[in-house]
Amino acid sequence: MNTESWYLLLQVGLVATAGLSLAAGVISLVLGTFIGIFRVSPMAPLRVLANGYVEFFRNIPLLICLAFIFYGLPKAGITFPIFEAGVIGLSVYTAAFVAEVVRAGLQSISHGQIEAARALGLSYVQMLWLVLLPQVFRMVIPPLGSIFIALVKNTSVASAIVVPELMYQAEVIAGRYFYPSVFLIAGVLYLVITLPLALLVNVVERRLLIGRGR
Amino acid sequence: MQINPSRPKSRFTEDRQALIGALILIAALPFIFGMIPIGGLLTVLPAAWRSALGLTDGLSRPHAAALQSAIANWQPFVEFATWRFLTLGLAMTVGVSLVSILLSLPLATLAALARLSTRAYIRWPIITGIEIVRAFPVLILIFYVFTQFSRVAETTGMGLLKTNNVTISVIVALTLYTTVVNAETIRAGILSLDKGQTEAARSLGLTYSQALRLVILPQTFRRVLPPLIAQFVTLVKDTSLGAIIGLLEIYRRGQILYQYFRNPLETLWVIAIIYFIVNYLLGQAAQRIERRFTGSRRGAL
Repeated sequence: MNTESWYLLLQVGLVATAGLSLAAGVISLVLGTFIGIFRVSPMAPLRVLANGYVEFFRNIPLLICLAFIFYGLPKAGITFPIFEAGVIGLSVYTAAFVAEVVRAGLQSISHGQIEAARALGLSYVQMLWLVLLPQVFRMVIPPLGSIFIALVKNTSVASAIVVPELMYQAEVIAGRYFYPSVFLIAGVLYLVITLPLALLVNVVERRLLIGRGR
Repeated sequence: MQINPSRPKSRFTEDRQALIGALILIAALPFIFGMIPIGGLLTVLPAAWRSALGLTDGLSRPHAAALQSAIANWQPFVEFATWRFLTLGLAMTVGVSLVSILLSLPLATLAALARLSTRAYIRWPIITGIEIVRAFPVLILIFYVFTQFSRVAETTGMGLLKTNNVTISVIVALTLYTTVVNAETIRAGILSLDKGQTEAARSLGLTYSQALRLVILPQTFRRVLPPLIAQFVTLVKDTSLGAIIGLLEIYRRGQILYQYFRNPLETLWVIAIIYFIVNYLLGQAAQRIERRFTGSRRGAL
């Protein structure tokens, strides 16, 4: 058994997993926020489509999403490189969960805030950007944290479309050396990403609560 | 701005909107990705109509080709054999999910009770175990259990494990993961009960296990039924991961279909719809149960 090449494979996998998580995290945060806003928009068609988006992606497996993008879309003449396909699939899927949280946050803000903002002469977009979203994001940091931790774990599914992330590398090592315990090592490496993330969420949450004077 | 949660009626319309929106998206996908070529459909129009619309024959030839390939791609789904093939996969998906959640319930209850135990030597190993398994991706668990079982089956030559290795591995891995998640749900359910319940039961002379069995757990299960059904939806979705090690559930069968007919878009679309219907109905059931229990029983609990 060659420990050197193992180490290298897992290292590459860890970096790819971190990259996937980060890219999909940022994209799904932006996309999910927009969809969350659309879900409470005054325009009925937007609301219906945004609600439908969330309902659809909450009810289908991530694997189907990834397979549709990686194996299906080339048939429609749309081809993505492997890594990008993984990022898009994960983002589109995770955005539904982000949207759900953002919508709940928006709906929990008292109506007086909206009336006050409009009475001050802020436009709709200004009201969202300056008054509502800052409050919403403070509120939803704990649930967003668990969504991102789930996202990190979900990146393992991207191994099914041969993204060379941690899970894929573990499969390669397990196959090459017939050493199943490598999956435990890979599992612990996922912890290496999710544990600091959980701690970070805790710290940020506490910091923001203090800022609010609670 | 629709940010006003105080009207109870808006909740219902939001549900309906979600369903209608999802159906619109589902219906739009074949047109967006050319599974149903609009240009091709125009070629079916009578020649007189086409010339009236200003469509020339030269333009319609590639459209006709697109229509032909679309018909070939959809062809498998008008045949009974395809649906039988997929239904067997759906049965496997639902079966594996059901077995896993049923196995997980007693285990999760035990784990939740152990986690709430006053004895540290029971509590801490369980807490550690739960936290570790919960942090692992499900796919890792599936692969780990699968490779270990393969090894055991090779060395001991256990017949059952050898022939049903994949199915057993997926069930074991999903049961393990679901147990851990449900244990947390059930623990939260037990903690949400008023402490007076336990005290009253004990002061009536019930033993600890009687109090649990007759007073605490029945109330807990009524409370945690909706999150348990939500977990079942997750489980149905996670069963698709079994396809990666070759479990013949619905996604794997879909994969076999589209590799044979070379129509991944159409097949995956159909499978996504099947998943959507199953999980949507489960979600509705969870909501209905939740509404019934929280509606009339809140005072009683």
